[in-house]
Amino acid sequence: MTAPGVLQYRSLVWNFAQRDMKSRFTGTAIGWAWSLLLPLATLGIYTLVVGHLFKITPAAFGDGSKGNFAVWLFVGLTAWGFFSNSVNISMSALLGTGTLLQKIYFPSFAPVLGAVIGVAIQSAIEVGLVLVVLLVFTNVGFTWLLLPVWIVIFVAFSAGAAMLFAIGNIYFRDLAHIIAVFLQLLFYATPILYQDSLIHDRVLHNVIMSNPLTEFVVLFRDLVYGLTPGRVNIWAGALAWTVFAVSLATFVFHRYGRDLAEQM
Amino acid sequence: MTDNAIEVAGLSKKFRIGTERRDSLKERFVRGSGRYDEFWALRDISFAVPRGSTFGLIGHNGSGKSTLLKVLAGVYRPTDGSLATKGRISALLELGAGFHGELTGRENIYLNGAILGLTRKQIAAAMEEIIDFSGIEEFIDSPVKIYSSGMYVRLGFSIAVTVDPEILIVDEIIAVGDEEFQRKCFDHLYELRRRGTTIVVVSHSLGVVADLCDRALWLDKGLLKSIGPVRDVTDNYLEAVNRKEADAKERSGEVSVETDGERTRRLGSGEIRVTHLDFIDHNGNASGFLSGGEKCMIRMHYQAEQELPSVTFGLGFSHESGVNVAGPNSGYGERATKVPAGTGCIDFHIDDLILQPGTFLVTTAVVDRGHTYDYRDRAFELRVRAQEAVTEPGLVRLPGRWTHEQATVSSVPTGSELP
Repeated sequence: MTAPGVLQYRSLVWNFAQRDMKSRFTGTAIGWAWSLLLPLATLGIYTLVVGHLFKITPAAFGDGSKGNFAVWLFVGLTAWGFFSNSVNISMSALLGTGTLLQKIYFPSFAPVLGAVIGVAIQSAIEVGLVLVVLLVFTNVGFTWLLLPVWIVIFVAFSAGAAMLFAIGNIYFRDLAHIIAVFLQLLFYATPILYQDSLIHDRVLHNVIMSNPLTEFVVLFRDLVYGLTPGRVNIWAGALAWTVFAVSLATFVFHRYGRDLAEQM
Repeated sequence: MTDNAIEVAGLSKKFRIGTERRDSLKERFVRGSGRYDEFWALRDISFAVPRGSTFGLIGHNGSGKSTLLKVLAGVYRPTDGSLATKGRISALLELGAGFHGELTGRENIYLNGAILGLTRKQIAAAMEEIIDFSGIEEFIDSPVKIYSSGMYVRLGFSIAVTVDPEILIVDEIIAVGDEEFQRKCFDHLYELRRRGTTIVVVSHSLGVVADLCDRALWLDKGLLKSIGPVRDVTDNYLEAVNRKEADAKERSGEVSVETDGERTRRLGSGEIRVTHLDFIDHNGNASGFLSGGEKCMIRMHYQAEQELPSVTFGLGFSHESGVNVAGPNSGYGERATKVPAGTGCIDFHIDDLILQPGTFLVTTAVVDRGHTYDYRDRAFELRVRAQEAVTEPGLVRLPGRWTHEQATVSSVPTGSELP
């Protein structure tokens, strides 16, 4: 998975992304509108449930006004959703192209990256929705300008993780189920439903803060909701995790990614 | 320096086989990962394919042809040895394998083109030609899941050959589409060959290989058996197949080929019966088959209950497709045969067997003008084998020779000048 290799096959990666996106809403009456309706419905449900049933004190908006817990939750879930969808869809995408890999040579990173890009486009719509909602609350700041940097790092990290899990899943089919459990655990180990400041146990707090997803979720919230540029050590942590994930994925791809046709 | 499109040196490919694959982590932990059977699909194969030439792979089923093709296409990595290819490879291992049912034909052309390593621009440039070649223009914007299997392979073939590959790898494409499309495919393959595309072909049809290829490689159980100019290799291969079949027949004691008498019609009054036939090759040995172009003999054994003064023996050859090909007889009237009581045989000599390779059913008849003593309808089977790969169509190889007289332009009569 060298940079020139990926560039050479960018057309194929894009085709896989298109294939994934097109087949997702094929046959539905309103097609692509679902990609906007689904996150809207999610936001509506959160507003209904947490706004009216549970009385949770939300974190304040970055502009100092009283916060909105549903919006706060939605911001965290958008970031989380991108990561978990990337991993899940990549695994099934690589498995699904198995018969094709046995017939024609193409690099196995193509369907994985295609899946990640497909998910990223879906998530971009959700991020756009998040920003629109925040605009409605007039919670806007210059820290939004750092968002593209965050997106690039997060997509790279997720693609690396997705690649590792997708290739691993070809060799050990149990991995899909282990990952399902692991993702649940990771979800609760990431401050999405709660604020990390609520965890008072020092050890537990350190565990939660060293989780890479925590860093990405916290950074995203800082940038768009809290309107702060984020702490340097968190940025550094996110970057370190990304370098680690991408390097490991590159190594695994070179070591195991070329023999997938025999393992299918 | 030679200009080779493909260079293979000492290539081997090992597979792990066994019904119990340790796919799950539990099995790896519980039983370890060390126990599985190894199978060498290819062992120490070396060859080179010069740029612009056409190369054929032949061999029995399971000889490793397809594995070798997949290694060349990059689908499998060699276990040992090296493989060097120069130029963009387009592989036709299974037509339409890369199609996604929900996408339209046009979208699938983009997807498949991208798999073959083309940019969107290159695909767009070739789009019209691909659609044109496939001949399914009216369905090109419908999802391929509604396509018939014929349309599927047409589109697949069209993409693979129209994208202008530098190296084309083709696995048994002969059985694709209807007659018209097959011809189109072949024409296109010849066109590609003319344009200098390097082509590697796997086929069980030796005629196709002999016709299309410059050189060939014969694989047997993963080992390279023979390599060289295509005629030499196909001839060696045929000879080995023929010899093997003859040996097998000999071992099973089945020299006289007689099909089950109960199945076929047996007519006649029965004073004389044909008991069996021997097909005797040019060396004088009874054989399970005869070879085209050679001297041979068909010996008809009979058993007569009584002396018969005037008997005519006849043989009828019909092709397995049902066409009657020939029906020689031993002569009537003056030339009729006098047969004593008891067993005997009568021989039909052939100086040059002009039957083309194939299976022929042989009918025997023993008659006396209007009266039938014995008639066994298509009771025997004659297999004709080729000594060399045959490219001539038809049931018989028509004897004859060609001459060519140089015509001068002015002496060619036109229609109006004819009386």
